Amino acid sequence: MGDIGLNRRQLLLAGAGLLATAYGLSGCTVERPIDKSAAGDVVEPKIDGDLMIFNWAQYMDPSIKKSFADKYGVAVNEVNFDNLEAMMTKLRAGGSYDLIFPSTEYVLRLRNEQLIRPFNRSRLKNADTLSKFYDDPWYDPNSEFSVPYAYYTTGIAWNTNEVDTLTGSWNDLSNEQAWGRIFMLDDFQEGIGQANLLNGFYLNTDKSDQLQTSKDTLLDQKKGLRGFSTNSVQNLVSGAAALTQAWNGDVVNARNQVDDPSIFAYETCKEGVPVGSDLMCIPITSKSPGTAMMFMDWVLKPENAYKNVMWNGYPMPVAGGREAFAKLVKDDPSIDVNLDQLADSAMEYRLDSPEARQEWTRIWTEVKA
Amino acid sequence: MTSKRFWDWFIFPGGVWIALLFAVPLCLVLALSFGHVDDFGRGVYGFTLDNYKDVFDPTYVPVLLRSVGYALATVILCLLVGYPVAYFIARHGGRYRYALLAALVIPFFVNYLVRTYAWVALLSDQGLVNNLLVDLGLSQQPIQFINTPFAVIGGLVYGYIIFMILPLYGSIERMDPSVIEAGKDLYGSPFRTFLHVTLPATQAGILAGCVLVFLPAVGDFVSAQLLGGPDTYMVGNLIQDQFFAASNWPFGSALTVIMMLFLAVWMVFYLRRASRGEAEVL
Repeated sequence: MGDIGLNRRQLLLAGAGLLATAYGLSGCTVERPIDKSAAGDVVEPKIDGDLMIFNWAQYMDPSIKKSFADKYGVAVNEVNFDNLEAMMTKLRAGGSYDLIFPSTEYVLRLRNEQLIRPFNRSRLKNADTLSKFYDDPWYDPNSEFSVPYAYYTTGIAWNTNEVDTLTGSWNDLSNEQAWGRIFMLDDFQEGIGQANLLNGFYLNTDKSDQLQTSKDTLLDQKKGLRGFSTNSVQNLVSGAAALTQAWNGDVVNARNQVDDPSIFAYETCKEGVPVGSDLMCIPITSKSPGTAMMFMDWVLKPENAYKNVMWNGYPMPVAGGREAFAKLVKDDPSIDVNLDQLADSAMEYRLDSPEARQEWTRIWTEVKA
Repeated sequence: MTSKRFWDWFIFPGGVWIALLFAVPLCLVLALSFGHVDDFGRGVYGFTLDNYKDVFDPTYVPVLLRSVGYALATVILCLLVGYPVAYFIARHGGRYRYALLAALVIPFFVNYLVRTYAWVALLSDQGLVNNLLVDLGLSQQPIQFINTPFAVIGGLVYGYIIFMILPLYGSIERMDPSVIEAGKDLYGSPFRTFLHVTLPATQAGILAGCVLVFLPAVGDFVSAQLLGGPDTYMVGNLIQDQFFAASNWPFGSALTVIMMLFLAVWMVFYLRRASRGEAEVL
């Protein structure tokens, strides 16, 4: 040791350099500011280049991309993200994508950060049949920046061969028959949210004493868990889960993968049913925003919406999509989403202040630790 | 051009590579660990010690201890499994020695993540192992292997055991076999000979293997994420969640820095021992 080739003086110099760098960086964000000059320009629907889609994996029927590519003579490429935070990071760093699929809360964040571009929804031919809720939603007044892609509820799914003592409450996450083989969604909002509802609090409460109570609830529930996971389909189908907190579309997918679909049932809970939507937006880094808008319209076309819902199991709030989902869940209406639920923004996850967001993530970390 | 000049130029491309892709990011992580989160949830550089205070919050102590515990268990299991394997190949492998080594090394060219998924398929409730156990009548019901601490440690052992076997093989192979014969000539039982001759003679390999397994195992997150349950949260998972779920990059960076310091202590300890060991041999 001691022979790294640095003497005292060089070491001091290096230290000073590091300090100077840190001082120079102070106040800067991790990502270098990107060119946001396009943030105000309204996008026009016209083919202006190839398309790069940035989406969850397995969330769109590939045949819809192919038919669009064939019709308009452009390439339609797709890359995937694992979580919305990673998507944000890539966008902030200037990654160029033409179409992204954020949740409602992330649309608001993207809008506030000027990372998405406005477009005129009336220029979309297939937007007329969209559910009224999306005309003027809380996260995007007048719907200038987003159109809906899919929506979902959060509830509890279980294997009917193993569990038959459900009560229609979030308390079922501590069901005794399923004890030790229960999964909770590995998502801080879904985890804390159901505990808030169970305790009779507002879904998105930011009151510290209430969050503490919900943390204790979660620590109790954790004792019966087999794990935290968002991979509900695999957990149900592989038999690892007797019961799991789940998004309704995943239950449709799990039922599609077994010989007897009736072994998987789904309930929404009386204390409250969280609802969510995924939207389509055009990032300001898009190189082909016009093509992206044309593609949005293509996805909302009734026959494409129908095909897509049959493929991914999640309802789309547009003509064609609604009919397809009704067909998928005709044997188990509990999986369906009542459109009135969508209008209830108290049942959507939204943490309006950064402080609340930090407190929630800290509590979730403490629960998982 | 003098030979000194030549070597200076020779290391230039590699040096630039290391500086740009290793040293600079490392400094950024260090700088960000003193930063904070802005209203958009973005990391902002600054001068605060809050993140370091949080690292030593009592909440996270069990996570740190658990990680060290799992890593130590992994080291012990790797040693118990790896030593006989390395010994056999080095002393009794004969002309198949290199074929056997290759058979051990080649699976490790497959990505660690993919290999861990294979474990999920093997050990799940309706996986190969459970089906076999039930079919053979050894178990009435599938055994819950995955989502347990044992599965996490098993995954770690499988993931890193090659780092134990290779240095052990090296030191056992280099050992002069006549010292074992000498031990036997002195009426040592096989066990006593092993304990008093072979083991001390291969000490350097054991130390190298232990350190090489311990370091990556402590910081691992893949095994706990895929094979773990509700109570197997490791520091690697904590760091990953700070970056991708909690959007608290500064805290994630502080955890990373503390983690690296902790590992650096072990690394320095190992390097000192190793260099002293070499000096003794020379």
